[in-house]
Amino acid sequence: MNIRPLLSLLALALLPSALSAQPVPAPPAANQAIDTASGAWEGIVNIDVSVLVPDYREPWNAGQPSGGSGTGFLIGKNRFLTNAHVVSNATRILIRTTNDPEPHPAKIVHIAHDCDLALIEAEDGSHFDKLKPLDFGGIPQLNTEVIAIGYPIGGDRISVTRGVVSRIDFRPYSHTSVDSHLAIQVDAAINPGNSGGPVLQEGKVVGVAFQGFSGRVAQNVGYMIPVPVIKRFLKDIEDGRYDHYVDLAASDFPIENPAQAKALGTGSDGVGVMVGDVEPQGSVGDLLKIGDVILSIDDNPVMNNGLVRFEGELMDMNEIVERKFAGDTIKLKYMHDGKKLEATVTLKRFDPYVRLGAQYNQRPRYIVNAGLVFQPLDRNLMDAHQMRDDTVNYVFDNFLTDKLYVERPEPVVLTNVLPDEVNTWITPYAHSVVDEINGVKIKSLKDVQTALAKKDKPFIEIILLEKNRPLVLKRELAEAAHKRIMQTYNILEDTYLGDE
Amino acid sequence: MKLSQIFLFLAVGAATLPAQTALPEAAKKKRTPAAPEAAAVPQQVVQSNSLVKVNATSQPYSLHMPWQKETPSGRRGLGVVLSGNRVLVTGQMVADATYIELELPTTGQKLPAKVLAVDYEANLALLESAPSDKQQAFFAGLKPMAVDSGTRIEDKVDILQTGRVGELIKSELKIGKVLTRRYNVEGSGFLVYEANNIVRSEANSFTLPVVKGGKLVGLLLSYDSKNQVTTILPAPIIEHFLKDVADGSYEGFPSLGMELQSTLDEQFREYLGLKPDAPGVLISMVMKGGSAEKAGMKKGDILVAINGFAIDSRGDYKDPQFGALSSSHLVRGRAYVGDKVEIQVIREGKEVTLNGELTRRKPDDYLVLPYLFDKGPRYVLMGGLLFQELSRPYLDAFGEDQRGGAILRLSRVASHPDKYEEEGRKKLVFLSLVLPTPSAQGYDKLGGQVVNKVNGTAIKDLNELADAFKDAKDGVHVIELKDFPHILYLDSFNAERDNMRLLGGAYRIGSLKRLE
Repeated sequence: MNIRPLLSLLALALLPSALSAQPVPAPPAANQAIDTASGAWEGIVNIDVSVLVPDYREPWNAGQPSGGSGTGFLIGKNRFLTNAHVVSNATRILIRTTNDPEPHPAKIVHIAHDCDLALIEAEDGSHFDKLKPLDFGGIPQLNTEVIAIGYPIGGDRISVTRGVVSRIDFRPYSHTSVDSHLAIQVDAAINPGNSGGPVLQEGKVVGVAFQGFSGRVAQNVGYMIPVPVIKRFLKDIEDGRYDHYVDLAASDFPIENPAQAKALGTGSDGVGVMVGDVEPQGSVGDLLKIGDVILSIDDNPVMNNGLVRFEGELMDMNEIVERKFAGDTIKLKYMHDGKKLEATVTLKRFDPYVRLGAQYNQRPRYIVNAGLVFQPLDRNLMDAHQMRDDTVNYVFDNFLTDKLYVERPEPVVLTNVLPDEVNTWITPYAHSVVDEINGVKIKSLKDVQTALAKKDKPFIEIILLEKNRPLVLKRELAEAAHKRIMQTYNILEDTYLGDE
Repeated sequence: MKLSQIFLFLAVGAATLPAQTALPEAAKKKRTPAAPEAAAVPQQVVQSNSLVKVNATSQPYSLHMPWQKETPSGRRGLGVVLSGNRVLVTGQMVADATYIELELPTTGQKLPAKVLAVDYEANLALLESAPSDKQQAFFAGLKPMAVDSGTRIEDKVDILQTGRVGELIKSELKIGKVLTRRYNVEGSGFLVYEANNIVRSEANSFTLPVVKGGKLVGLLLSYDSKNQVTTILPAPIIEHFLKDVADGSYEGFPSLGMELQSTLDEQFREYLGLKPDAPGVLISMVMKGGSAEKAGMKKGDILVAINGFAIDSRGDYKDPQFGALSSSHLVRGRAYVGDKVEIQVIREGKEVTLNGELTRRKPDDYLVLPYLFDKGPRYVLMGGLLFQELSRPYLDAFGEDQRGGAILRLSRVASHPDKYEEEGRKKLVFLSLVLPTPSAQGYDKLGGQVVNKVNGTAIKDLNELADAFKDAKDGVHVIELKDFPHILYLDSFNAERDNMRLLGGAYRIGSLKRLE
């Protein structure tokens, strides 16, 4: 997956960090007036969400209560599809139909942050038994008309907007900010609250409205998640579990330079893209080397810019991988040192990049010891603490590019030192990456717990990455101070390592 | 408002910006002409016959397109006349100078001058003018000023400025603090006097003398108009500089090349095995090739004394003149390159005496050049690919918002050069820019990648890169980068052809490389 920063795209839920879209009733034929009482669009519902945004600065606290609203639509018996960002970090979800003010409590069945989709169900689904689920269509053609239905800002009742399909492209999904999938751009107005709502063509769902640009950046640019991505999600969860996207975990570099083409031995047919980087722990980590040339994926020739012609459209070669599931294979033809080779690759998820994106529905993990707060390094932490330390920023920004994850899968940061007599001299060292504690190399937050449990020496010794002195606490003083600090700073639990 | 703007420029000199910031139009600031008093008695104008105006034009090289120069800008300051018809100014004043002239404050008579010696770390420069009748006439009415290193905290001193007709304008200051701090380039700290008071703004802002009883006690380094804090480059550093210049060869200010950590933290002291009241600081880093390393100092030593001066747990010593002062001044300010140094450390519980000789780490000894003045950045251009050696000024030219990605990675190399130095690299060569040429087709979005090898040769500096480009195999240059996309290929024949087209082409390139 390409990791691209996404500056101005906003997800469309009326959630704290994003904007949302909302659901609309059943699909009518184009240009046909809709009677909302007819029940045709009754399956397009408003989703009202109470949210608790986790506090990564005071990870022991509950977080910030907030709320938002989006759209969802019925796709089966008591199964509503919406965006992951509509229901992320939700503490309460309420479904309302356009003709019935009664709120129906609902819960998440499956949530896929990497493709911004979620499936929710009403706690009592009987209210919706009579409603007709929406059917899925395919990938709409460019310049064909679509309507977006939902509950966007500007009123309480259902809303319909109309436009055409403007572009079909591989795009970053802003919910995590690190995932890119196929997305379809439409010029129908898609506004906060439309998120999770269906985009219809000839009465069939051709996408889920999910993000757009803020008006200052671009006009009439809205994006929907197309059916292949939705279908992939629905298929993935058939076994009762969401397994995430799989990834080649290799970066391609175009072969546009004649000397490069000559040196790499690619022909004049414009087939073949150079491998510019390979993640050692990814699906092709043992297979491809930098400077290899990928010639085809599943017999689809890869062009020199990394595109393939797939289902009639030019798409990023990753789109072929995108449609696969963990454990599936692909056939790869490639060239190494001028020799044409072929291999079958079993695809897997590439975990290290997950922490580079926003994560949701997680209680922040932490360890507090004698006022020293340890937290795992990820985007949520970076955003919350506004880290300025060079080393922390370097480790985060180059986690993949410099393959830092190989040595340190979960870097741990000393994020805060809660001042007390015992630690007053080391307070300036907050915002440092922890290298070692009591002789134990820290590769994950769990290691901090293990290391702190070692009590063979009279001092707790903490070595920080690229800081030139160790932090030391006299064990007996630290232990005596620990309870006092917990009380003073109102911390109920000194450790949360996640539910294992 | 106007005042504060001008003062901001004053401060800029030392603290805020690199030295290339000029003081453009300060000179034009209009002062209300002294309104004549009702009585017709002309006011007595006090003049100093030891000060001359110095006007310098500065033109740095472009860091991003190193074959060209930036816009020239002017700087004005007040120089101090020393014996031998020499004029002392700050180093900043003459950095990247293309033309320097001296001007008599009273008559406006002008005389071209040249830099005799400059030390950008100590921020000092000595100017002189070729002997001639004009030169003799110029200096005839001027009297050298003596340097007084005896200033103490609480002393009252004057910052001198000259008005339109050479009248002397004094701002009185009281020295409040003496400390060490880096001047205007990267590097260790130098001695600084700090004083509080309002300094009024005049035209001559880049260098201003600070005097007491007619003797020079320092040069103004910076003035922070918001907090009214003045920092002064003090006489002891000026004397050191002058003495070094006088012996014929300029060596500069020595350093030990180490980093120390205070031991105020009682638990840390106990951990280090230090007694509660014992002096000493932890040596946390010893620079390769520095004086300390050569004397045998090791990381983990507890430094307890330098040249007989005890080092306390803050890393300070008791200076007979100024009181508690950073131990770096013991070496930097009080000793010279080539001097013997005696260092007491505690190692594994035992006191050890280390003896060594003081050296200076020259800018060129650094993997990443700490500063660069008066000459152009080194570069090699090949088929549109521009290669440079990483320097601090190059990194500093990027704003906060551009600090991600490649610049962040390069900045980190600058702060942690050890690993790269161990690889044997003398300089960090990187691909800085790609000009659009046919042979660089497909590479034009690259920039910021560190070069590992060219045509199979590991690249330690730009000279090696230039040589390695003579060894194309089968007509193709292979450039291996540390970063994505890791390998570039360049047709050697087409690259040469593009080189010829670049010369004198749209990018106004006069030379394909600068390796001096």
